[in-house]
Amino acid sequence: MAPASQLSPLHRSKWVHITVGLTLILLSVALTVGWQFLAIPGAVLASPLRWVLHFFGSLLLLLLTGGLVLIFILLLREVRLNERQSNFVSAVTHELKTPVASLRLYLDTLEMRALPEEQRTRFYATMRQDLERLNSTINNVLNAAMFTDRPVTNPQPVELARLVRRMVELTRTRNQLPADAMRYTGPDTLVVMGDAGGLETAVLNLLDNAVKYSGERIDVHVSLELVGTDRVRLRVRDHGIGMTRAHLAFIFNRFYRIGAEVRRSRTGTGLGLYIVRSVAKGHRGSVTAESPGPERGSVFTLTLPGVRPGSVHG
Amino acid sequence: MAEGARILIVEDEEHLAQGIRFNLEHEGYRAQVIADGALALEELTRASRPYDLVILDVMLPGMDGFAVAHNLRERGNLAPILMLTAKSLPEDVVHGLEAGADDYLPKPFDLGVFLARVKGLLRRRDWARGAAPGPSKVRIGDSEVDFATFEVLRAGQVSRLTLLEATLLKLLVQNPGRVISKGEILEKVWNLAADTETRAVDNFIVRLRRHLGDDPRNPRHLLTIRAAGYRLLLDP
Repeated sequence: MAPASQLSPLHRSKWVHITVGLTLILLSVALTVGWQFLAIPGAVLASPLRWVLHFFGSLLLLLLTGGLVLIFILLLREVRLNERQSNFVSAVTHELKTPVASLRLYLDTLEMRALPEEQRTRFYATMRQDLERLNSTINNVLNAAMFTDRPVTNPQPVELARLVRRMVELTRTRNQLPADAMRYTGPDTLVVMGDAGGLETAVLNLLDNAVKYSGERIDVHVSLELVGTDRVRLRVRDHGIGMTRAHLAFIFNRFYRIGAEVRRSRTGTGLGLYIVRSVAKGHRGSVTAESPGPERGSVFTLTLPGVRPGSVHG
Repeated sequence: MAEGARILIVEDEEHLAQGIRFNLEHEGYRAQVIADGALALEELTRASRPYDLVILDVMLPGMDGFAVAHNLRERGNLAPILMLTAKSLPEDVVHGLEAGADDYLPKPFDLGVFLARVKGLLRRRDWARGAAPGPSKVRIGDSEVDFATFEVLRAGQVSRLTLLEATLLKLLVQNPGRVISKGEILEKVWNLAADTETRAVDNFIVRLRRHLGDDPRNPRHLLTIRAAGYRLLLDP
């Protein structure tokens, strides 16, 4: 833990809450035990009423302890959510303002200076990339509000195999990747019942994530396979930075990002995987993540029900 | 001095870093980019020739900009710092200035304003160092302040002023005996609006008193004039 002087007020208040909560729990446990000891010497020959009082007294104190533990857990959750929300505001501010700042800088440069055509073309390409980044952040924020855990209202047949191949192609183009940096294996056609827009967003977020966390060497394998008769499993495996077991438990939470936002090392808002989980739940499916550890890659698995019988070919 | 000055850009967003570098080089400066806070601190500490100016982002991998500025000042590096960041709340500005930044520009910024700030910081440094009209060495009580080296010599001990401390002291030295309001100091030294709510000026006065060996409870040279501002007496 960092020394108190280096902690933000939010972190300090978290540790104050934890200390107070733990002290209260310890106090009430001590009270329960101590009270028994105090009561025993004269109690052996006491009336049955005394034992009844003992019983209810203990029960009350146990309830008190249980209540305190519950308050402590709830408080901790609240503090964690606040931390994540504050990180989210920082991340979104950064993700919105950075491309805008870049666009303005290049626009001012183009206006202020007489530049050769080749240079101007390069600047236009940079500005186009900034616009795409801005658009993707806006879409992520809107999608997080749009896709909820509620079941898809009007499921339609979606050609998932084609959709995945299209998203692989789009990710390659966006990130200017060679064909072997992201490979697809799986059937040529496979139809599931669902929401095409939601599934497209979920698949794209998984693929973007794999590229973003791949580090220097991008080697992503995307596979689609039938499980049983009516379920389909999409696996996205990268050989990137991976993560610890502690992070695995939280990565699908809203606003969750690894590390402090002020020392950000990667772009993002902490909404991408949350959206994937919401879309999976909306389709009565699931999404899981595995990683053997830091620097050893990760595997994300999206499982969906509702495969149309006889729709799998190739 | 401004032309050909060596500038280090600490920015992890490639587009911004390259755009800033392109414009600085167009203005005749020599610019270098580092994308990681910890690496930038290492470079600034190790460089055989000091940089004339540092353009510093706040949200950085490795080490955040506030920590880079703070560590740099702790190590006695006084290169002027222009902080660039998406965080533009008044408390962020004050946090940056207190960490050791000399100026602060929120993103997105106007290119003309940015280049003016760069020029202003380099000029301010030259002004504080005595390149501009004004005394280079000044005696305040038993301390001797050398604005060319930012050093204060007192009782055989040398302490070094940061650019902001030197600029503030120089403003007071150029107006001996006159009461200077907090608003005027904020405008002239910090480039902030006169009504900005901050304790930065008070904190810097405390730091200057420490450099000059002035008793904070009963100062003889750097006086606080209640509800009016500050006044410097060279030899009371």
